[in-house]
Order: sequence, then structure tokens, then C-alpha cells
Amino acid sequence: MKAVMTNDSDIGRSDAPAPLDAATEAERLRRQRVRSIAIALSLVALVLLFYVATLVRLGGNVFNRPI
Amino acid sequence: MTETTANSSSSAPVAALGGEVGDYIALLKPRVMSLVVFTALVGMVAAPGQVHPVIAAIALVCIAIGAGASGALNMWYDADIDARMARTAARPIPRGRVTADEALVFGTVLSFFSVATLGVLVNWVAAGLLAFTIAFYVFVYTIWLKRRTPQNIVIGGAAGAFPPMVGWAAMTGSVSLESVVLFAMIFFWTPPHFWALALYRARDYERVGVPMLPVVSGTRETRRQILLYSFLLVPIAVIPAFIGLGGKAYAAISVVLGARFLHLAWRVYRSDDGREGDATARKLFGFSILYLFLLFAVLLVEHVVMRLVG
Repeated sequence: MKAVMTNDSDIGRSDAPAPLDAATEAERLRRQRVRSIAIALSLVALVLLFYVATLVRLGGNVFNRPI
Repeated sequence: MTETTANSSSSAPVAALGGEVGDYIALLKPRVMSLVVFTALVGMVAAPGQVHPVIAAIALVCIAIGAGASGALNMWYDADIDARMARTAARPIPRGRVTADEALVFGTVLSFFSVATLGVLVNWVAAGLLAFTIAFYVFVYTIWLKRRTPQNIVIGGAAGAFPPMVGWAAMTGSVSLESVVLFAMIFFWTPPHFWALALYRARDYERVGVPMLPVVSGTRETRRQILLYSFLLVPIAVIPAFIGLGGKAYAAISVVLGARFLHLAWRVYRSDDGREGDATARKLFGFSILYLFLLFAVLLVEHVVMRLVG
């Protein structure tokens, strides 16, 4: 993890990614957060989709089972 | 705002920031998607029988996402030529908002989920057709035909013609004559529609090496082909009135719109290159969109009214 963060020994090395300035890094984190939320919402929607579709397809049979 | 921030760091490429959610939505080609949703909806409403509205809505969402996924895969493969064409240069990959690899993964994941969900929750005939549509658009049109033959949009046009058939299959679990007619309408509409566009965008296509008909065979031959395909399209578009798919309103409107389509195609045929010729081609291109939209809209309205009344 430390190696991923801006490490003093990485500065100046040609194979290291160029460090982002503070504003750009904040923007990168914001976009990452928004994408994560979008993926989470998509997964919740998919779960709800299957849940509702199961209720619709099974209809009253959902409750018609031996207890 | 975001762009300003992104551009403020000269050392950070835009892609290093990752795309916005809007960039991923743009990968789905929302405008194409809306046409797909509309034609699929008509296929569903026109189909006999009934399914639960929730299942129908799920089918429509799956078809929409499947269509969007194929759009993302198309943008992944065509990123190199998209960057060099005015019409496509603002797409997310050429702009550096999303990487080609991200588009590939995004399109593949959505393709898988849309087909699997349609299969599990609706039926596997519709899912199979959706999978075939995506594969046809990506492998047959985008990868195989688009850069190799001027017939690219003739054969590749089938991909855009499948959605009403998928919608029909979602409702009935089968393919029938009516759904094939809906397919044929879009299939024969595609060549005059795209060749009208290609007539005034020929230089763009030529620059990136896409062998559209005007580039390979010249504009005179393209104008002739537009007229020929229009003569095929217009009678096919009237067929629904004779097989019980469309009613009297559809019969009348399809004839009137068809006459106008032929008139514009004739004007394109008679025109020459230059500003006037481009204007005629633009007019046909614009009208072709309205033509297909109105035909399907009339079918939709007739079937909705029929369901409400009867």
C-alpha cells in the first residue's frame, strides 16, 4: 500500500506514474466515489429486479407452502 | 467544470482520472438505444397474448441494456476511426474520458447480464435473439464488414432490425411472420437511411478508410441504390396492413409517408454533387427517421387502442 502512495523513492523514476496535484487527485477520488455508488445502485437494482420478478412469476404460490 | 479540473494538471491524462458516470452512459449510445427501445416496445405491444407488466418492463430494460452494450463494444473496436471523424470525435474514448479496455469490459459485462437476465426472467428464445443481435452487431458488422465492404450497412443493418423481433419473442416465446415483417421494415429502411447520410459525409468515411458506398462506387451509384432500396422498402412497409398487424390508419399513413419517401429518394437520385445535392440527401436522411418513427408509432397507437377497447 505504501508503495502505491507517493513515495519519495519513486519521484524522478521514469516508470513511476506522474504524481497528481491535489486538485486533480481530489477530482479522481470524487469520480471514483461516484462510479462506486453507481455500481452499488446497479447491483441493488438487479437484486430488486430478481426479487420482484420472482414474486410476479410465482404469484400466490409464494405463500402456498407447508410450514 | 470537471474538464477544467482535469485539464488543470498538465501531467495527468484525463483517462487517469477515470470517467464520469455520464461517460459510461454515452458509451451506450443513448439515442440509438431509444430507437431500439421504441421498436422493441412496438414488437411487444403488437404481439398477441399478455405477460405481466413487470415482466414486460424487465424485457424492455434487458433489450435496452443489450443494445447499449453492443454500442459500447462498437466504440471499443472503432475507437481509432472515431477519433478521426467529425461525427464521432466527441465520443468518450476519443476524448480520453474512458479507456478502450474499460469500454470492452463494460460492454461485455452488460451483454452478459442483459442476456442472462432476459433468459432467466422472461424466456430463452428472446434471450437467444438478443445474444445473436449483440454478436451480429459486434462481430459481423463492426469487426468483419464495416471496414471491408460497401455492403456493410446492408448486412449489418440486420442488427438494428432485430429489436422488434426480440420484443415479440419476449411476449410470445416465438418468432412469427408478423415479427419478420417488422424486422424487414427496419432492414430495408437502413440502406437508404445511412447512404443518405454517407452522401454528405463521404469525405469523413474516405479519410478513415471505411468503404461506404459513395467512397467505393461513387455518389451516382449511391443515389441509384438509395432509390432501388426505397422502392423495396415502401411496399414492405405497407404489408402490416394486409396481415392484420396494422389497421386502416396504418394503411393510409404508410401509403402517404411511403409516397413522400419515394419522392425524396427520387429527388436524391436526380440531384448531383454539391451543396444542393447534400441538402437533398440531408432532407431524405431527416425524413427517413421521421418515417420509421411514425410507422411504428401508428402501429403502437393502434394496438394500444385495440387492447383498451377490445
